[in-house]
Amino acid sequence: MNTEARTLLLTGNHAVAWAARLARPKVVPVYPITPQTPVLEKITEFQAAGEFDAEVLTPESEHSVMSACIPASLAGVRVFTATASQGLLLMHELLHYAAGARAPIVMANVNRTVASPWAFWPDHTDSLAQRDTGWIQYYVESPQEALDTVLQAYRVAEQVLVPAMVNLDAFYVSHSLEPVSVPAQALADAYLPPFAPRQRLDTASPSSWGNVISQDMFFRHRQAIEQSMAEVPELAAQADRAWAELTGRSHGVVERYRCDGAQTVVVTMGSMAGTARDAIDAMREAGQAVGLVKLRLFRPLPVHALRAALAGARDVIVLDRNHSPGIGGVLHQELRAALYGMDGAPRIHGCLAGVGGVNVPPEHVARFVGEVLQTEPQPESHWVR
Amino acid sequence: MIDNTLLAVPRREDDLLCSGHAACPGCSEPITLRHILAVLGPDTMAVVPPSCMAIIAGPQPFSSMRIPVYQPTLEASAAAASGLRRALDAQGRHETTVIVLAGDGGTYDIGLQCLSSAAERNENILYFCLDNEGYMNTGAQKSSSTPRFAYTSSTPAGKTTRKKNLTEIMAAHGVPYVATASVAYLADLRRKVAKAKAMRGLRLITLLIPCLDGWGLADDGALGAARLAVQSGAFPLVEVEDGVRWTLNSETPSRPIAEYLAVQRRYRNLRPADVRALQGEIDEGWARLARRAQASMPAAAEARAA
Amino acid sequence: MNAPLPVPPIWTTGTTEGIHTGTWRAATPRHLFAPSPCHQACPVNGEIATWIGQARNNDFHGAWQTLMRHNPFPAIAGRICHHPCESACNRAEYDAALSICRLERFIGDAALDAGWMPQAAASAAAGRVAIVGGGPAGLSAAYQLRRIGYAVTLYEGSDALGGVMRHGIPAYRLSRRVLDGEIARIVALGVDVRLNHPVQGEQAFAGIVAAHDAVFVALGAQQPKRLPALAGDHDWALDGARYLAACSRGTPPALGARVLVIGGGSAAIDVARSARRQGHEVTLLALEQRAQMPAQPEEVVEALEEGITLVNGAMLRVAREKAPGGDSRLALECVRVRFEPGSERGRFTLTEIEGSAFEIAVDAVVTAIGQDPRLDDLGVGLRREGALLWTATAGATSDGKVWAGGDLASMARFVTEAVGMGKRAALAIDRSLRERGLGASGPALVLDDDGDEPVVPLSAISQHYHPRRARVESPRRGAAERIADEGEVQLGLELAQALAETTRCFSCGTCINCDHCVIYCPDLAIERVGLGYTVNTDYCKGCGVCVRECPTGSMAMSEDSK
Repeated sequence: MNTEARTLLLTGNHAVAWAARLARPKVVPVYPITPQTPVLEKITEFQAAGEFDAEVLTPESEHSVMSACIPASLAGVRVFTATASQGLLLMHELLHYAAGARAPIVMANVNRTVASPWAFWPDHTDSLAQRDTGWIQYYVESPQEALDTVLQAYRVAEQVLVPAMVNLDAFYVSHSLEPVSVPAQALADAYLPPFAPRQRLDTASPSSWGNVISQDMFFRHRQAIEQSMAEVPELAAQADRAWAELTGRSHGVVERYRCDGAQTVVVTMGSMAGTARDAIDAMREAGQAVGLVKLRLFRPLPVHALRAALAGARDVIVLDRNHSPGIGGVLHQELRAALYGMDGAPRIHGCLAGVGGVNVPPEHVARFVGEVLQTEPQPESHWVR
Repeated sequence: MIDNTLLAVPRREDDLLCSGHAACPGCSEPITLRHILAVLGPDTMAVVPPSCMAIIAGPQPFSSMRIPVYQPTLEASAAAASGLRRALDAQGRHETTVIVLAGDGGTYDIGLQCLSSAAERNENILYFCLDNEGYMNTGAQKSSSTPRFAYTSSTPAGKTTRKKNLTEIMAAHGVPYVATASVAYLADLRRKVAKAKAMRGLRLITLLIPCLDGWGLADDGALGAARLAVQSGAFPLVEVEDGVRWTLNSETPSRPIAEYLAVQRRYRNLRPADVRALQGEIDEGWARLARRAQASMPAAAEARAA
Repeated sequence: MNAPLPVPPIWTTGTTEGIHTGTWRAATPRHLFAPSPCHQACPVNGEIATWIGQARNNDFHGAWQTLMRHNPFPAIAGRICHHPCESACNRAEYDAALSICRLERFIGDAALDAGWMPQAAASAAAGRVAIVGGGPAGLSAAYQLRRIGYAVTLYEGSDALGGVMRHGIPAYRLSRRVLDGEIARIVALGVDVRLNHPVQGEQAFAGIVAAHDAVFVALGAQQPKRLPALAGDHDWALDGARYLAACSRGTPPALGARVLVIGGGSAAIDVARSARRQGHEVTLLALEQRAQMPAQPEEVVEALEEGITLVNGAMLRVAREKAPGGDSRLALECVRVRFEPGSERGRFTLTEIEGSAFEIAVDAVVTAIGQDPRLDDLGVGLRREGALLWTATAGATSDGKVWAGGDLASMARFVTEAVGMGKRAALAIDRSLRERGLGASGPALVLDDDGDEPVVPLSAISQHYHPRRARVESPRRGAAERIADEGEVQLGLELAQALAETTRCFSCGTCINCDHCVIYCPDLAIERVGLGYTVNTDYCKGCGVCVRECPTGSMAMSEDSK
């Protein structure tokens, strides 16, 4: 076991695999799907080399994967899995189930376009379509952030007993290679206390889970879930700060980039944030008062942090790499709801940019900003290319 | 025969199944369950999908079983049991038995895929299929375990296709142990549960559960129907080890299928030609089993010698 | 916004035992004791299912004690009883009746071999009882009364106790050792036996009645019926009872080569077989068809094995003595008849069949067509009913101090019927003496408390637990061998055979504690408490599975009334 941090050249997928290894889960059910496969390949490689002590099982579908995760977690064991796109969708029933069970599973999801028709390109529709399932959702922009976020996700999830998914863009993050600082096992152990829930499946105190409940119990159970969700933004911020103390790296919950004095703020998630940073730099160089807010924690939506981050901006331009038919860009619509009624609320414009994996280079971002600022804000999202 | 080995009846406070559960009066599922649990003992965890058993398991916050029970979604029993099994293994609790108590709907139909996968991985699970030949909990709709010609609420004119042969399907997976059993043959059932408990890997026992409401039987008629099922050959008692060693535990059918059909209202509209067709199927099925058992004999003898 | 409510557990915190599903019930099962058909049919109302159960559990002493409560002659009965229990046995409809009679013999013989003795009462009772007649009825009454503690004086006219058991039933059916052994056991309880003390005539009888607090009269039926065709005094015509008595004393009369025995009952068969053993060629002439004969079917089979010729459905018209020097002494003119039985034994209609006359050539005729009591031996004080002494329930006569039983008072001409009558009379005498302040200090003997449940039918037996099996074979010795040595024909069962047969008993209405009701209850609502079972009405849903799975008919449902 390493006692020092190492820098390795890793893809996002492999960074996720390393994070999973460091988190010491005991049960890892997993099913391959492009472009997630290198995650499970790396994990099984670790296991074959004797470097990863966990029960890795390969059921016949993602539905069965998540079905296996939940009772394993309820038995009091830390669980990890990873999937993408169709696999995530196939798990949909179980995502609700896991959240209702209060099982703090952490799952990495590689954001890939959703069929039909078939495609393999980066798009957030897959995970955003799960936004009502009760999972915490993070969106990361780099392999390093992917590794760091998986570990932070465990810390938060296990504090509130809410499952968490860490989303990384297909290919842009999952397959791009960069130097990643891989912390020492001892650091990860110090950061993540052992998972030991008091209430679990245990023959020593034979309590059961899953019996039919009454309407009133259901109502109160949902209230309890909401209460726990409400604690997450603060816990996520704390987890990030604690991580910064140990590693020097902080990613925040809502990151403000060159927003001071910005009249226009671009808001986005995932790898697009990285592209947008370059665009912001270029526009600032050109004298435009433009900033970027990167939303890292999408669920629960950190409404107060967003309002604070966007206060003072005149125009907010949301770049959505996703599409919800009938309502447009998901982040656009959520942000409109989040800022509604805010004193001095900025005008919100939504751009459907990069839907289907269409490439969005920095120049395009700058162009979109220019074009959009010439229009009045509309409730509908604009298709931009 | 009156079997004196059954006299070791546990005192009530040791029973792992409690009174107060919501099974229909006379249902053979709780009778079956109490004996399964009596043989397995308290170091057991059960996975119970939506089914009659899930209702018998109790309304929140009560459980009718003194062991931990986890209820998964309907199609996921074997997958859930696999996850639970691996978690217990990770905790070093290798002796805790993980069982599934699933219905035929959750096994033959929607649950077959993950069961097949668990079998291929030879997960260390003891899977009980409580087969009442239909989706009885939701109002007696047909499943692929419903026999031909039976009335169900979704096959009011009688089912036109045959019952799936789960024993052959699981035997083809080559798992350590597949068996059929019935609480009407209690000593045989208890022996099989004890035998399965001592083994490792994917073990599956199908239990015939006559459904009073779904099949149209009197409140006290379940065990009698279960006996006729075995005696007529409709439900042979068999064991298959490692997918190749077949053993017949019940005798050559001694009663015509018509006697078994006659006690169930779900068959009341059968025509004589249908009864003959069923008798033909039974005879053929029994002959096939007998051939398999015969063919297994040298292999069984070798295995014993080894 | 409302303050949030406390988080409810989505994990269970208790069991369903708080849910009383007993409210679903419309009928409740109960554990019961019910009479079995064998018990009801048994002339002594023996607790058959109980003693068979004890034997099944290898408690032969216990089984013998249960037998002895109702009948002091199990070894005898096990040889000669007409076993209506077996005809009534529920198993008869199922595969074959249980071999109850032979099982009783097995236990009776074991008792004799082991020397087991019955107990007399701990303390004496005040009453003094006379028994007139030392046959099966009298000995049975003496036995029961001594068990209670009364002083019993038994007056027997002949030189030995036993009545028809000694003088009427040959040794090849009932060994003398067995007979003497079971009688001696009764005498050993302290019966004051007066042999060679006949009671004949009004005065003698009145004297006995006056000298005792109660009297049981069981003189038997000593007067043989005579055929009109054989009226008169002929040395070639004998009465069957006299013939058997002579044989039993070892002095059989010489009758010539060929003998015709007339009669269809056990006595006639006994005469015929005894004559065979004396070397005669024997023909038996009976009015009845074979199936109608009052004799036990096994006896007829054995008789035929021994070479007796059976002529059914015929009667003697005229007996003619032939001239001396012929091939036979007698020519008997007979005719075929149609026999229609009447409402009770002894009553029938005969129709001669036209043109069916035939002749039989024999040297002697022995008739065994029934006997009548000599009522005059008792004087005229007691009410009569036809040829019998009149009795009411339990043998009460028209005299409040006198009870009667056996052939004197009944046409049920079987030894065990007499034993039953003796028992019931003894109990009635006990009740009467207690009412008069002459009873024993301890509690009354309670022997026939059957409860209110109906007799258990075959439909109440869960047949699955009783696979069909053959009845145990009752071995008997070869005909030639048994004629030659005149020893017992029936061999009795081996231990393994007896035990195997006990497992065939359904134990109708007598619980065997198999615990099926507990084991198969879906709601765990039946608990075993000692040897009994209680239904937990908090949970019982009234499904009836316990009733169905009871292999002995010891559970029944009663509808709940609300």
